[in-house]
Amino acid sequence: MSTAPEAVAGARTKLAGLLVVPATLFVAFMMIGPLAILFRYSLNKFVPGQFMVDALVIENYVKFFTDAYYLNVLARTVRVAVICTLVCLIMGFPLAYVLARTQSRFKNLMVIAVVLPLFVGNAVRAAGWMTIFGSKGAFNASLMALGLIDQPLEIMYTENAVLIGIIAVNLPFMVLTLQSVIEGIPRNVEEAAFSLGAGPAAMFRRVLWPLALPGTLAGTILTFILAMNAYATPVLLGGPKFQMMGPLVYGQFAQQNNWPFGGAISFILMTSTILLTMGAHLIVQGRYRSNGPAA
Amino acid sequence: MARLSLSHLKKTYGALTVVDNVDITVADGEFLVLLGPSGCGKTTTLRMIAGFIAPTSGAITIGEQDVTNLPPWKRHCGLVFQSYALFPHMTVAQNVAFGLEMHKVPQAERGPRVAEALRLVRLGGFDGRYPRQLSGGQQQRVALARALAMEPQVLLLDEPLSNLDAKLRLEVRIEIRELQQKLGLTTIMVTHDQEEALTMADRLVVMEKGQVRQVGTQRELYERPADRFVAGFIGRSAFIEGAVTAQGRFRTGGGLDIACAAAAAPGSATLALRPERIAIGSEADGLPNRFPARIEHASYLGALLDVQVALNEQDRMLLQIPNRVGLAEPHVGETVTIGWAESAGLVYPQGA
Repeated sequence: MSTAPEAVAGARTKLAGLLVVPATLFVAFMMIGPLAILFRYSLNKFVPGQFMVDALVIENYVKFFTDAYYLNVLARTVRVAVICTLVCLIMGFPLAYVLARTQSRFKNLMVIAVVLPLFVGNAVRAAGWMTIFGSKGAFNASLMALGLIDQPLEIMYTENAVLIGIIAVNLPFMVLTLQSVIEGIPRNVEEAAFSLGAGPAAMFRRVLWPLALPGTLAGTILTFILAMNAYATPVLLGGPKFQMMGPLVYGQFAQQNNWPFGGAISFILMTSTILLTMGAHLIVQGRYRSNGPAA
Repeated sequence: MARLSLSHLKKTYGALTVVDNVDITVADGEFLVLLGPSGCGKTTTLRMIAGFIAPTSGAITIGEQDVTNLPPWKRHCGLVFQSYALFPHMTVAQNVAFGLEMHKVPQAERGPRVAEALRLVRLGGFDGRYPRQLSGGQQQRVALARALAMEPQVLLLDEPLSNLDAKLRLEVRIEIRELQQKLGLTTIMVTHDQEEALTMADRLVVMEKGQVRQVGTQRELYERPADRFVAGFIGRSAFIEGAVTAQGRFRTGGGLDIACAAAAAPGSATLALRPERIAIGSEADGLPNRFPARIEHASYLGALLDVQVALNEQDRMLLQIPNRVGLAEPHVGETVTIGWAESAGLVYPQGA
C-alpha cells in the first residue's frame, strides 16, 4: 500500500512532492536539531563559574534520579497530569456527545463557546484567577461578606488551584477531539443497539465507547502531554513552592544557568511523557482486544 | 409475532405536522408497506413505532401491550436500517448475538440461535468476518439476521434495499418476502420504490403530507385509487381537467364531451385514465369514447411504446401500446384515432 494518494493523469508528481519539503525542513531544523544539541548538552558537566564544560558523563541524570526532591517533582507532575486528563475525559465526553449529536441551529455557537477560553492565553487567564481566588480576592471576599466562612479559603498556591487551572485550559482540547470522533460514529449504530434491547448504559459500554476509543485515546494523549508540560499555570497558581517539571526546566536554564542539568530534566520529562503515553496506549489496546470479542 | 396497531398517531414539530392522525392496524404475520414520496411522514411513522420519536398524541400497541411510552430497548422491534448500521467492531456472529445478549439469553442458547439466524439469511460460515469484509448485500443480510435472531414481535424495515444495486435488489426483495412468509413475521417496511412495494407487500399504505391517503392491496390501489394523488402515485395516469356536466357526462377544458362512470357528482373534476387502457387505431372501434388525436411524442421502450397525444389545444393523453408483431410505428405529427370505455376513466371531484 502506498502512503501517497493515487496521482491523477498528467500529474507533475515531482513538483507535488516538493510541497512537503518546507514542513519537513522546518521540523528537522526546529525540532530534531535543537533536541540533538540539548541531549549533547545534558551529557556535559556544569561547573559553577565556568558555565558548561565539555564532557560525556551521565552525572546530570544520576543527580535527578538520586535526589528525592527532583523525583518528587516528577511524581507530582505525573499525578497532576493524570488527574487533569481523567477529569477532562469524564467531563468532556458528555459535553462532546451533546455537541456532536445536537441538531440545534446554535451548534456552531456552542462549539465557539467551547473554544472561546483558548482565546485568552494561559498566563492572562491565570493572572485573572489570582485576583479572584486570592485570600483577599473576590471569591473569598464574597463568601466572607455573606458570612459563610470566617477564614479565607486557601485556594491559591495549592495543588487544587493548579488542577483547576490545567483542567480549564485542557478541557476544550479534549472536547473538540472527542466531538469530531463521536460525529464520525453514525447515530443509527446507536439506534440499532437500542432496538436490539440495549439500554443507554449497555449501548455506551458495548458500542459507543469501543467505537470512540481510538479518538478518545488521541484526545487523552493530547491533554496528557499538555498537562505534563504545563508552565504558566503551575507557576502562577501554584506559586514558588509548588514545583512541576516545566517550571523546573526553565529555572535551571534561566535562573541557575545550569544548561546541562536543564537539558537532562528536559529529556527526562520528554521520555517519561512518551513512555506513559505509549504504556497507556498499549494497555487500552490490549484491554480492548480482549474485551471486544466477548460474545 | 404480534399484531400492531397505530391509533390517531400524530407528530408535530412546532407548527409543522409531520404525521397526521394515522390509524393503521397490521395483522399478525402481515407484510405492510408504507409508501409515499419523500417527506410524506412514512419514516417518522416507522421511527415512532421503533420508539426513536415520541408521538405528539395517539397510541401504539404491539400485541396487547401499549408501547407508546416505552423506550426503544423495551419494544422488541427488530429494525433493519437503510445503511444496515452493523457494529463495525464486532464480527458477524457478535453482531447477531448482540440482541440475544441484551435480552439475557443464556450463553449456551446463543450459539445455536446465531447459527440459525445466519443460516436463514444464507450466511452460514461468515461468523468470524467483520462487516467491512462483506459486500453490501451480505451486510444487509447480517442486519436482517441480527434483527431476526432476537425473535422480534414486529420487524421494521427502513428502505432496506435502497443501497443495493439493481440486480441484487430484485433477489433480496424475494428473499425477504419468502423469509417473512415462512416465519410469519409481522412486518412494516418503508419505501419510496413503488415496484418494491408492489412485489413485497400484503397491503400497502399510501401516505402524503403526513396523512394516509389509501390502504389496500396492490389491485385495490391500482384499480380504484381513492384520490387523484394515489391515481398519479401508483402507476401512471393521464389527467384531464374539466367538469361533470350531467350524469355520466364529463366535459373537458378543451371542450370534448366524454362518457364516464355514472356515479360522479356534477361540478369541477379531474378525469384520470391509465395509459394502457386506451386503445388506438382499429382497436378503438365501437368504444363509447373515440377521438382523433395528434401524436406529439413517441418513445420506444422495447416491450412498450410510450406515446403522448393531443386531443385538442388543451387536452393531452398518455398511451402505452404493447409492441406486438406488425405494429404500425406511430410517427410524430400523425393523426390517429384513440378510444376507451367509460369504465376506464376515474373521476375525482376538485380538491380530491
